Amino acid sequence: MNSLLTPAVAGLSAGGAYAILGVCAIFTYRLVAVVNFTGAAIGAAGTFVMVALTEHGMPLFPAVIIGILAGALVGVMIGGVMTKWFSGASATTKAAVTAALLVGIIALGLRLTGGQRPHLFPDLVSGSAFRFAGVEVTWGSLLTVTLAVGLTIASDLFLARTRTGLQMRALSERPMAAELIGIRVRVLALAVWGIMGAVTAFAMMIIAPLRSPDFMSLSLLVVPALAAALIGAFRSFRAALLGGVLIGIVEGMVSALEFGARFRGVVPFLVILIVLLWSQRGARWDAAR
Amino acid sequence: MSALAIENLVVNRTGIPVVRGVNLIAKAGEISVLLGSNGAGKTTLLEGISGVIPASGRIALDGADLTRSLAGHRARAGLSHVEQGRTVFGEMTTEENLRVALHPSASLDQAYALFPELVQRRTVLAGMLSGGEQQMLVIARSLVGLPKVVLIDEMSAGLAPVVVGRLMSAVRKLADSGVAVVLVEQFAALALAIGNRAYVLRRGQMVFEGGCAELAKDPARLHHLYLGDAGETGAEETRQHA
Ligand SMILES: Nc1ncnc2c1ncn2[C@@H]1O[C@H](COP(=O)(O)OP(=O)(O)OP(=O)(O)O)[C@@H](O)[C@H]1O
Ligand SMILES: [Mg+2]
Repeated sequence: MNSLLTPAVAGLSAGGAYAILGVCAIFTYRLVAVVNFTGAAIGAAGTFVMVALTEHGMPLFPAVIIGILAGALVGVMIGGVMTKWFSGASATTKAAVTAALLVGIIALGLRLTGGQRPHLFPDLVSGSAFRFAGVEVTWGSLLTVTLAVGLTIASDLFLARTRTGLQMRALSERPMAAELIGIRVRVLALAVWGIMGAVTAFAMMIIAPLRSPDFMSLSLLVVPALAAALIGAFRSFRAALLGGVLIGIVEGMVSALEFGARFRGVVPFLVILIVLLWSQRGARWDAAR
Repeated sequence: MSALAIENLVVNRTGIPVVRGVNLIAKAGEISVLLGSNGAGKTTLLEGISGVIPASGRIALDGADLTRSLAGHRARAGLSHVEQGRTVFGEMTTEENLRVALHPSASLDQAYALFPELVQRRTVLAGMLSGGEQQMLVIARSLVGLPKVVLIDEMSAGLAPVVVGRLMSAVRKLADSGVAVVLVEQFAALALAIGNRAYVLRRGQMVFEGGCAELAKDPARLHHLYLGDAGETGAEETRQHA
């Protein structure tokens, strides 16, 4: 029993981070209509800023704050490119543009961070919070999952209750009509990119010590993030939350299996495949008739 | 003084001038009716004025030049455009549609006073409203932004006559409250009946400007203005060649 529970719980912090990234992906998609492949890379940039600062002796707290701000800044820069040149483009074009940007960011990031050269990622939180059924639950997993749940609830409330949230929904539905009622369309879109950059950067800082900590691996965490978003059909924050956590848990369990460790990274791909096939079942059923 | 003054406006579509040197003024408290046959360039003119598409010439709102400003800035300056096709935010409720556009010193009651039928539809998704209700909603959404000028494009398209009458009287009330309204309308007789000034656009150029009453009295003239020498298109061509 414990042989599965331990790794499952170990997968929680990754799962929480995937959930955060997934919720951010949905946020970006719903509000600025972009399937954003650069999400994790933006967070990675912020994380590496933080690491560079701590490696140069800055205390952890200010380094984290500056790293988060850097994530926001990179988000705004990417958002600037997307809103300036591609606001009228189709969803497919925009997704392709972010995929291309991802390649560029990874190349640039690897160059700036010294490729695969190992960095010392400080643990933002460490140690065991409590034991549950004989299994250690770490502060890290507790924090990411709490953050993920908080972000999910906050996202829903923000969009439903606040005036800015209302404006963002209007913007996402009909950008021109939103502009014609005087909504500051560009400012709002850039705000979405900035907030997503900041949140992602923080999530990445927590998960980075658990990963092979190079710029590319962190940037490619966009795959489980999009898998979680897909589970939420790019619409439901709550489903993405559950999906992200679930992917983390399954990953944890797979990597505990003797032959599974090397295949941990395959889990999100399998999830994407299964969700896509599931979502197409109606079409295939119709075609078969 | 006129709230909206348009001078020598040229608006291109895919590189072709669709609106060619148009002058138009709209005064506070008045309805300026803009008529013209399909494809005359009415929608293009309104889009050039509100900034949906770029235009050259001069656009002034209460004397302030807006020709170079973006659509959002023009809207915040008090130039409102109720687009063709009832552009409600369909996944938001009726009330959310109004709240998102609400000016700090306006209240939702103003919208509900003009269109009481929207009150009981408050919590319904705007996408679920009838065509008439959606049209009321987009006009109400415009008015809670406290605009100085409202451009309304084809509000009665596809609606039952009784609903069109409702909308016409609401627009008259809107103008009476001190707003300058520019009304683009296919139902010329109904629009002329509530309007003050009339304009007729043909192939991107203004071919008539005068009182609504004057034009309403003379349907034959209106018909001629719409179509030009279309009844005798051949004649026009011949004359040009001559
Ligand atoms: N998006 C577009 N791209 C290119 N040309 C366009 C576009 N929209 C309209 N046009 C052309 O511009 C001209 C004027 O169109 P516009 O829609 O302004 O006319 P309208 O007077 O509003 O007509 P209607 O009464 O049918 O609404 C037409 O010849 C039309 O073919
Ligand atoms: Mg039109």
